[in-house]
Amino acid sequence: MFERLFGKSAGSVLANLSRQGAWRRFAVFFALIGPGIITSNVDNDAGGITTYSLAGAEYGLSLLWTLIPITVVLIIIQEMGARMGVISGKGLSDLIRERFGAKVTFYLMIALLLTNLGNTVSNFAGVAASLEIFGISKYASVPLGAAFVWWLVVKGSYKSVEKAFLFACLFYVAYIVSGFVGKPDWGLVGAALVKPTIRFDPGFLTMAMGLIGTTIAPWMQFYLQSSVVDKGLKAESYPYARMDVVFGSIVVNVVAFFIIMLCAITLHKSGVKIETAKDAALALAPLAGAYCSWLFAFGLLNASLFAASILPLSTAYTVCEAFGWESGIDHKFMDAPQFYSLYSLMIILGAGIILLPDIPLIAIMYYSQVINGLLLPVILVAMLLLVNDRRIMGDHVNGPVMNVFSWAAVAGLVILSAGLLVSSLLF
Amino acid sequence: MMNQAVQEPEFFVYLSQILGKPVQDGYGRTIGRLADVSANLGEPYPSVGGIRIHSQGRKAPLYLSWQDVRESNGSIRTEQPPTEGRALGENELFLRDALLDKQIVDTNGAKVRRVNDLQFLRSHDRLHLVHVDVGFRGLMRRVGLERAMDFFLQSLFDYELPNQFISWKYVQPVSSPDLLRLSITQNRLAQLHPADLADIIEDLDIHQRAAVFQSLDVETAAETLEETDPKIQVSLIETVAADKASDIIEEMSLSEAADLLGDLPRDKAEGILKEMEQDIADDVKELLAHPEEEAGGLMTTAFLSVPPERTASQVLEILRLEAMELDFVYYVYVLDPRERILGMLSLRELLAAAPEARVDDLMDTRFVTVRLDEEPDEIAEQFAKYGVMAIPVVDRDDRMKGVIPFRNLLELVAPKLGK
Repeated sequence: MFERLFGKSAGSVLANLSRQGAWRRFAVFFALIGPGIITSNVDNDAGGITTYSLAGAEYGLSLLWTLIPITVVLIIIQEMGARMGVISGKGLSDLIRERFGAKVTFYLMIALLLTNLGNTVSNFAGVAASLEIFGISKYASVPLGAAFVWWLVVKGSYKSVEKAFLFACLFYVAYIVSGFVGKPDWGLVGAALVKPTIRFDPGFLTMAMGLIGTTIAPWMQFYLQSSVVDKGLKAESYPYARMDVVFGSIVVNVVAFFIIMLCAITLHKSGVKIETAKDAALALAPLAGAYCSWLFAFGLLNASLFAASILPLSTAYTVCEAFGWESGIDHKFMDAPQFYSLYSLMIILGAGIILLPDIPLIAIMYYSQVINGLLLPVILVAMLLLVNDRRIMGDHVNGPVMNVFSWAAVAGLVILSAGLLVSSLLF
Repeated sequence: MMNQAVQEPEFFVYLSQILGKPVQDGYGRTIGRLADVSANLGEPYPSVGGIRIHSQGRKAPLYLSWQDVRESNGSIRTEQPPTEGRALGENELFLRDALLDKQIVDTNGAKVRRVNDLQFLRSHDRLHLVHVDVGFRGLMRRVGLERAMDFFLQSLFDYELPNQFISWKYVQPVSSPDLLRLSITQNRLAQLHPADLADIIEDLDIHQRAAVFQSLDVETAAETLEETDPKIQVSLIETVAADKASDIIEEMSLSEAADLLGDLPRDKAEGILKEMEQDIADDVKELLAHPEEEAGGLMTTAFLSVPPERTASQVLEILRLEAMELDFVYYVYVLDPRERILGMLSLRELLAAAPEARVDDLMDTRFVTVRLDEEPDEIAEQFAKYGVMAIPVVDRDDRMKGVIPFRNLLELVAPKLGK
């Protein structure tokens, strides 16, 4: 099905296009983009959209400026991952295993499995919530969503799946459109974006940390690097990969910008209190019109399904890579039992937990956030050690300036995630 | 001798069990901890030749020769002072650095595996590397949870997880190009079927791929390349110099060679074509002129055609001489002087025919052809309808240009099967 819809592999498309000369540069870029943009957009998953909505609804435009430093840090970190993928030709879990040994890798993978499971649960919750706005029961939407995710990955090839994902990225436009539908006062918004506001109340700081935590997650470093490796990019084409990463990091924050802004100019202005992204979508209807509410809900559905497709797959790949188990959707079940078991487990648990009556969803999210916070610093420090290892990176190690920036960014994130951890344990 | 063997029972020891163990001098003082062991990988069952010691407060490691070390049940003692440096012999490598946690190729199971542990056989004060542990038990031993896992599985399922070992003689380390260049008696990858080699290459990272590919002889490299994914084919051939690349491509079937050259950047392809033998290069160029997914791109020009007046024995003689050069031998085509097809003969018919019979008497004049620009779906239908093993391709003037063996079509159709 996807084969017919999307045609041949990027490799042969590229080869055909290159014969046509004029299209070549354009074609090269489009054949090489993907990993960065997809990774960044998966990042705007159900959890992300919820956080952005809450940030806008509770604190208005005052948190908007944080998106600029977040974009910069995201670019710094993702660039290192993409560079390691291109130069070493290995995934991050491969490199971690080879450099830090079995013990460290084992515990890191368990933590990653747990936090990714939590994320998957929250995305199936997003599927349920967004379709409830359209009046569809979660007992119908969640199993259907899980079946769709399964079908997409098991029946499609890697290439066709990537194209489907790139296509899904387009639907984030829903948020940008709904932002315009809300008719903002651009002067005010612009001022909020460039003028940093800091308030020293715990709620405000926690929210700021939440914004960062949802944008820079451990799993995405693994996913990005593996998909760069899968693309088979060579060192010469690295500049394209970097463009992809930069472009993706900016797009993700543009989407975040519109969500925060929309919730600020509608919900915050009218003093509406919300707790979830679904509340936000529902509360938008009387304030900004039914279309705006539907667009918001549709965006949430797209984001949740998108992330729910990628997270289980990425987790299964990452873990199998670390332990040397056969992986990949081209294999039969018996040839890659660990891979398929992990993948199935993530989907079944992820979707199944939502269907249980009276599930402690908030508690699950909370613990997954805590593990996320514990894991992120370890992964980032490991990345910095790896990217500065000449045996792996040769001459492509970080330069002195890049090292100052990246260590500063990582130190900042470590402090913030420690802060987030402490505050979530205390409050 | 017999007696000695009884006095000194042989048993196994894992690398993970000795790494990190304290190394003590003659007075029982700890010098440092065992960081790595070295062995000559050129031997069939490499024996440990030396150890590396990390001592606290020192940045540079210390070294000892294995002869000066007495090792029993986790205690390591030496009477000799350790040295600051140690020159590794030829083919000698530190095993933890080179093998532990790295990828290896299991040439018996034709799979890429990750090394969880190494198992040594203790015999006459020497440690011989005999097995590579790739199993879950080995992983849990490294993590330090082997006993916990055993207790858990025993008490709940009454099950003991077996070890998963690969004998060292079936192991080909690939973690660095050096390991493939070691003058080990022979490259163990050569034992693998090219189709398995291709799968293995696809599982490796770019540097390992290049190293493995470069370690293959020209013929194996060509066969392996034919079985590899087109995108990886391109990246592999780009890692070898134009002259070696041309040797490899000459060994491939013409249609595969043309597809590969068509996927390469133009200057690279031209460089390789220049290095190739003139006649093969000309044939390949002709195939390159046709789009890859039409009859002209699927066909091969290395087929056998004969004039109608030849006899069966003459044709068999030609076949014998040319067979290795041909991509497809099962059908022989009878052409008139203007290269138009008069008929065809199968190898079976040729073998069964009287030696002096003329081919125009033997040939079957009912045959199907396709045009150069025919689409794969249409070609597949012809194969299905007529049940032939190959279909000849003709140009607008009905002159025969090549033949599409079923195998070439299958490569195009197979990915769509079962989807």
